[in-house]
Amino acid sequence: MTFPFWMLIAVLAVAAFSIRVLGLVAGDAIRSSRYSWILDDLPGLIVVSLVASSLAGQSIGTWVAAAVALFVAYLTNHVIWTMCIGVAAYALLVWFGA
Amino acid sequence: MSSFVHAGSSQIVAVEQFAGSSAVLGAALAGAALNLRYIGIVASLSDVLNGLSLRMKLLTIHITGDENWALTMAERAKNPAIGTPFLIGSGLVMISVWTSSTTLGAVVGSALPNLEQFGLGFAFTAAFIAMARGLWRGPANLLPWGVSFAVTIGFVLLGTSKAYAIVAGTVCGVATIYLIKNRRKQIA
Repeated sequence: MTFPFWMLIAVLAVAAFSIRVLGLVAGDAIRSSRYSWILDDLPGLIVVSLVASSLAGQSIGTWVAAAVALFVAYLTNHVIWTMCIGVAAYALLVWFGA
Repeated sequence: MSSFVHAGSSQIVAVEQFAGSSAVLGAALAGAALNLRYIGIVASLSDVLNGLSLRMKLLTIHITGDENWALTMAERAKNPAIGTPFLIGSGLVMISVWTSSTTLGAVVGSALPNLEQFGLGFAFTAAFIAMARGLWRGPANLLPWGVSFAVTIGFVLLGTSKAYAIVAGTVCGVATIYLIKNRRKQIA
C-alpha cells in the first residue's frame, strides 16, 4: 500500500472516531438536561430508520418477506427465529420470482 | 482499515472516492459523514456507559456497530440487567468478524458468487425488524416510528444516501415526539 492510502486510513479513523466521541459528549449533555427523554426514544427511531433504508426501493417480494419477519418478531420477540424465518421467506419468494 | 475505522459504508465510500480522485481529506470526510448516525447511537448509550472509566468508554464506542448496539438496546428493553458486558462482548465479536471477513473478502472475494442472491442482505433487515420489536413500548411509538419510517423511505427514494436518510428519519421522529409532548402539555 502507498503512503497516501495509509494517510486515508489514519484520517478516516480519526474522523469516524471523533463522530463517536461527539455522540458520547452529546449523550452526557442530553442525559443531564430536560431533554433526557430523547435518549429513551432514539434507539427505536434509529432502528426503524435502518429498517426503512434497507426496504426503500426494494421489490414486492422483499416487502412481503419483511412483513413475514415482522409477524414472527411480533409473535416470538426473538432475533434468531425472526432472522431464520424471514430469510427463508425471502429465499422462497426469490425462488418463485417475486 | 477495518479495525481502525470500523465503519462499513464509510470505508467503502472513502476508498471509492480515493480511487476516483486521490484526494485524501475529501475522501475521508465523505466517508466519515456517512457515520453521522453514530452521534445518536453513542448518545443513546449514555446510561449503559455510565460508570465506566473514560478509557473503557472510548474503547467501547469504537467497537460498537449498528448490529450489536441495536441488539444490546433490544435485549436491555426486555431485561434492564443487560448492560456494558453484553455491549462490549458483542462489540468484540462484531469487530473481529468484520475485520476477518473483510480481510477474507479482499483475498478471495472475487471468486465468490453474489451472496445477496442467497438472502444474506435480508438477514440484517430481519434482524433489525426483530430488534425494533424488542424496543417497541406500545401505541405511543406508532406515530413517531411511522414518521421516521416514511421520512427515511422518502429520502432514499428521492436519491439521498441511505446514511443521510437514516439521520433525517431519526431527527423527524424525535421532532414528532417533541411536538406530541408539547401538545399534551398545552392540553393539560
